[in-house]
Amino acid sequence: MLKKLIPLLVVCSLLVLLIVPSCGGEEEDNVIKIGVIGPMQYVQGEHHWYGATMAAEEINDAGGIDVDGEMYTIELIKADSNEMTSPTDAAAAMEKLITVDGAQFVVGGFRTESVFPMIEAAMDYDTIFLGCGAATESLCQLAVDDYDRYKYWFRVTPFNSTKLVSNSLMTLGMAGGIMQQGLGLEGPLQVAILAEQAEWADAMVAAYQAYVPAMLGMEVVGTWRPSATATDLNAELTAIEDSGAHLILTILSGPVGIPYARQLGELEIPAASVGINVEAQKDGFWDATEGYGNYETTLNTYAEGIALTSKTAAFVEEFIERFDETPTYNAGTYDAIYLLKEVIESTGTLDADTIVEELEGIDYIGAGGRIVFMGTDTTTPHDVTYGPGYTTGIATQWQDGEMKAVWPNLGVGEWEGVTYEGVVMWQIPDRVIAYYTQD
Amino acid sequence: MLRRLLRDFQGDVLAIPGRLLALIFFVVLFFIPLFLQGSSGSYYLRIFIFANMYVIFAVSWDLLSGYTGQLNFGHALFFGVAAYTTALLNIHLGWQPWATIPIGALAGVIAGLIVCLPALRLRGPYLALVTLAFPLILLGIIFAFTDFTGGELGISGLDRISDSRTTDYYISVAVMIVSVMIMWKLTDAGSSIIRTGIVFHAIREDEIAARASGINTIRYKLLAFAVAGFFAGIAGAFHAHFMRIAGPSNLELVLSFQVIIWTVFGGITSIYGPVVGVYILFPLMEFLRAAPEVRYLIFAGIVVIMLLFMPEGIAVWVRDKIERECPRCKLSNMAFRKTCRACNTYLYEHAGD
Repeated sequence: MLKKLIPLLVVCSLLVLLIVPSCGGEEEDNVIKIGVIGPMQYVQGEHHWYGATMAAEEINDAGGIDVDGEMYTIELIKADSNEMTSPTDAAAAMEKLITVDGAQFVVGGFRTESVFPMIEAAMDYDTIFLGCGAATESLCQLAVDDYDRYKYWFRVTPFNSTKLVSNSLMTLGMAGGIMQQGLGLEGPLQVAILAEQAEWADAMVAAYQAYVPAMLGMEVVGTWRPSATATDLNAELTAIEDSGAHLILTILSGPVGIPYARQLGELEIPAASVGINVEAQKDGFWDATEGYGNYETTLNTYAEGIALTSKTAAFVEEFIERFDETPTYNAGTYDAIYLLKEVIESTGTLDADTIVEELEGIDYIGAGGRIVFMGTDTTTPHDVTYGPGYTTGIATQWQDGEMKAVWPNLGVGEWEGVTYEGVVMWQIPDRVIAYYTQD
Repeated sequence: MLRRLLRDFQGDVLAIPGRLLALIFFVVLFFIPLFLQGSSGSYYLRIFIFANMYVIFAVSWDLLSGYTGQLNFGHALFFGVAAYTTALLNIHLGWQPWATIPIGALAGVIAGLIVCLPALRLRGPYLALVTLAFPLILLGIIFAFTDFTGGELGISGLDRISDSRTTDYYISVAVMIVSVMIMWKLTDAGSSIIRTGIVFHAIREDEIAARASGINTIRYKLLAFAVAGFFAGIAGAFHAHFMRIAGPSNLELVLSFQVIIWTVFGGITSIYGPVVGVYILFPLMEFLRAAPEVRYLIFAGIVVIMLLFMPEGIAVWVRDKIERECPRCKLSNMAFRKTCRACNTYLYEHAGD
């Protein structure tokens, strides 16, 4: 009997699951619905949601958004895009967000292959989509080919991927200068490039091989490409030590960043490490490397105690207090929601075309930097402007268990004098000092 | 002539509950846009369009792995090859979807024939492992020639199939129905016109015996791979134009495993099983967005329970409840009948007591 009943129950449950969600809810007055879309099962999506939640709660607590004299509250709608696995899912999530859930604006997005179809879905409904995750330049080139269709897409954070190379090179230059001065090194410094085997890293490797000698006067002694999931880098690190490298320029986004940093310290490789190591951006890095990750330096967006703008410190402290994590750049949804408040209040309307025009001319100080969008006459319209006085990002270094901001600092040219409150001096690792000062 | 057609229709469709349900399902599909109006209707049509593409994809896997027994764990290869072919032709040569989709499907055929080469020598888990490797090889090629393939970003900005979601929907329904009908006839072991169905069955059950019977099994295996590649290719090419992007996700293992889950859930070696599997599981995953944290947990739970209690698949389970095969003439009858509609044999034991 039970054996016959269970299949029937399952079939009935399936029918209920299919039918019930299609029953809609009631419309509410004076509510602005903002969709937050991202890979919610991953830290990127979580931080999209955390950042947006903080902004929406602060705005609602302060009375809401003034739309032409009438106060509106923000209602956030969470959408799990499942974009890491399926761009098909991501596009459907975006369309549901707009058409079924009634989102008037959308913030978020992370994986570029998924953000493309998400943009297509948002543009089909002339819905403003503020990107807070995908860094690929080409996303902002869509508006060059068809401005009327793609004008509703803006990138709030991060600055585009080509600028990562600039920041890495400047951090490398700063570290090299400090080492030469502190250790009395003469002649061109030797640099080893350590990049994970990933397509996104290929172009950066090529750029480093060309620009490290040309711009910084350093020598590239070799390039090593471990797997993004490698657990043992003994061979690579021994080879780097044998090459005589003073500095290791990293491009690591995968879990390889942990064994790399740990073994660098364990083997006492006499080279300082700077570049990109996503694992070193996380709070758990110190424990994961058992302290051997000391002095690991990586590009970053936020750090406790650093004031990119007057709003940064309060945002980061509140974020850490509420969620017990340092925000990643995906928490830039915080700025995106405030940006929307700003333009809606200044235009007094929710009309997308009017708001787009306002966004194109906005100059807004957010927690992540000064937000000014690139003009429509550039190659990347609606991309967040990068550079001194705009959005720059930072570099952080682990110093005795604490993540400290060490760059921008000691810049040259247009970067001369550019720094932020809370930035400290980059430190030469003890093992490097010991190696170069021994007789 | 018309009277004969009507009589055949009554005997072959209306008298068999499974086929009657299939007919009703196909007719309902044509009226769905009438009930889905407004912008939210567009979203629901999107789900149905995806479902139609994945139906073609899943049925093509059933034809190859279910009917012919050529266990393919890398079916996404055909989907991805067609998606990239159609994307490259559309972006670089400016060809329109009506030209790129058929050529994409032909690329799927070529991919099918290439995969078939090791399949001629391998069987079972060895074949499954080899097929699993092909999409990974192609992914490696894609990442090696990023200027041409777009690398991990894929190729975006493809032309739409049409400017209207409703038109897209009707095209997808028509393509799906025609594709499923062709594959159904190709696998019909009882067909007096096409004998591929019975040969596919024979290859799956005992390839050596089939060869000993004078069947050129190599030719039929090539045919099975080519046909599966063609229809999976149609699905992939259509998908690329509808999404306006072809990317590495079109080749990922997840897609290859999804097609197996859909088919097994609905009922392997049945053709209508994958149709039912996709039409239940794909919308279900969409509707489970309401509970994102437990979405995959519920999905997995449902699949496990169904397979525990309906190991042959939900569609086959339902068919067995509503149909009864005559033990004598093998004709399908409605389950409530006591005797066969053709030979009057009792359908149930002791039914005549």
